Amino acid sequence: MKKETPRRNSPRPRKPLLRFTPYAWAKLQWFCHRGETEIGGFGVSAVDDLLLLEDFVTVKQDVTCVSVKFDDEAVADFFDQQVDLGRKPQQFARIWLHTHPGNCPNPSGTDEETFARVFGSCDWAVMFIVAEEGATYARLRFNVGPGGECVVPVGIDCARGFPASDHEAWESEYQTNIHPDFMGFGCHDSVPSRSDLPAVDGSAWRDDGATSATTSGGGASGGDPFDVDPPHWWDEPELMAMVDDPDFYDAFEDESEVLP
Amino acid sequence: MKVLFINNLGGGYADHLHVQDGITVEQLFKQQLPGCKAEDYLIRVNRQPSARDQALQEGDRVSITPLKIDGAGA
Repeated sequence: MKKETPRRNSPRPRKPLLRFTPYAWAKLQWFCHRGETEIGGFGVSAVDDLLLLEDFVTVKQDVTCVSVKFDDEAVADFFDQQVDLGRKPQQFARIWLHTHPGNCPNPSGTDEETFARVFGSCDWAVMFIVAEEGATYARLRFNVGPGGECVVPVGIDCARGFPASDHEAWESEYQTNIHPDFMGFGCHDSVPSRSDLPAVDGSAWRDDGATSATTSGGGASGGDPFDVDPPHWWDEPELMAMVDDPDFYDAFEDESEVLP
Repeated sequence: MKVLFINNLGGGYADHLHVQDGITVEQLFKQQLPGCKAEDYLIRVNRQPSARDQALQEGDRVSITPLKIDGAGA
């Protein structure tokens, strides 16, 4: 006789799945598309489910279309405010979120360095990136026991109540915290990092968009510095193996909408 | 005496600690975060940057938070 598997009472997924409430997801998307820069912030988790994000909160930050840099004092202020609200650090300081331009959510070297240096001493942490065009990347790292990390799927969880969007408050938060720096740096779908750009002699750019710039160093000599082919997720063997695994899809709950 | 101590390392902490009277910021840091470098963190007392030899007072709030949280597009 076949032994019955006991049903779980909890709606929590069997495998780690980073979920957003519709409110948190809407706010993140609003900030992502509010300007032409990257933005970043912290996820605020449900007290009883740390991988369920109920809010996305920004701190004062300097941003360009390819970078985001949190203000150190603002991070400390954020910790103080959240503690005053009765939250523990594991609820508000473990899920680091930021956006990328274009369509590639894969972490950069800077992202990896920050994740290791800042969050590598925490028991656990998540690095989440959403690309401007909607693709997402989330990696959960455990630093206890043998340690380990895995890419986790991302979803929207409508199972709990959630507040309505509040564009007025979000605009106020955006104006207070997001400080763009556009000095001499245009935005483009596949913008290389600043260090990848060739050195350009200052008078070479023309109004018609063409350039007669001379290049030096490691840049694309004589070519269009923006003509860079971004990496694709299907080029990543680890991600391909994951999505080819039938068990991967068991992690999703019925109430969760899987994001790209 | 008791101080409110906030940090995100390990399991994270945001609660009151019993510490010896007159303990300095540097001594508290070494007690709570052995092996860590103070220069890698912003250490504040009562929401203000502190000197390492600052003696703590009853009820002080000490926070230790990370520096340089930067991201960049791939």
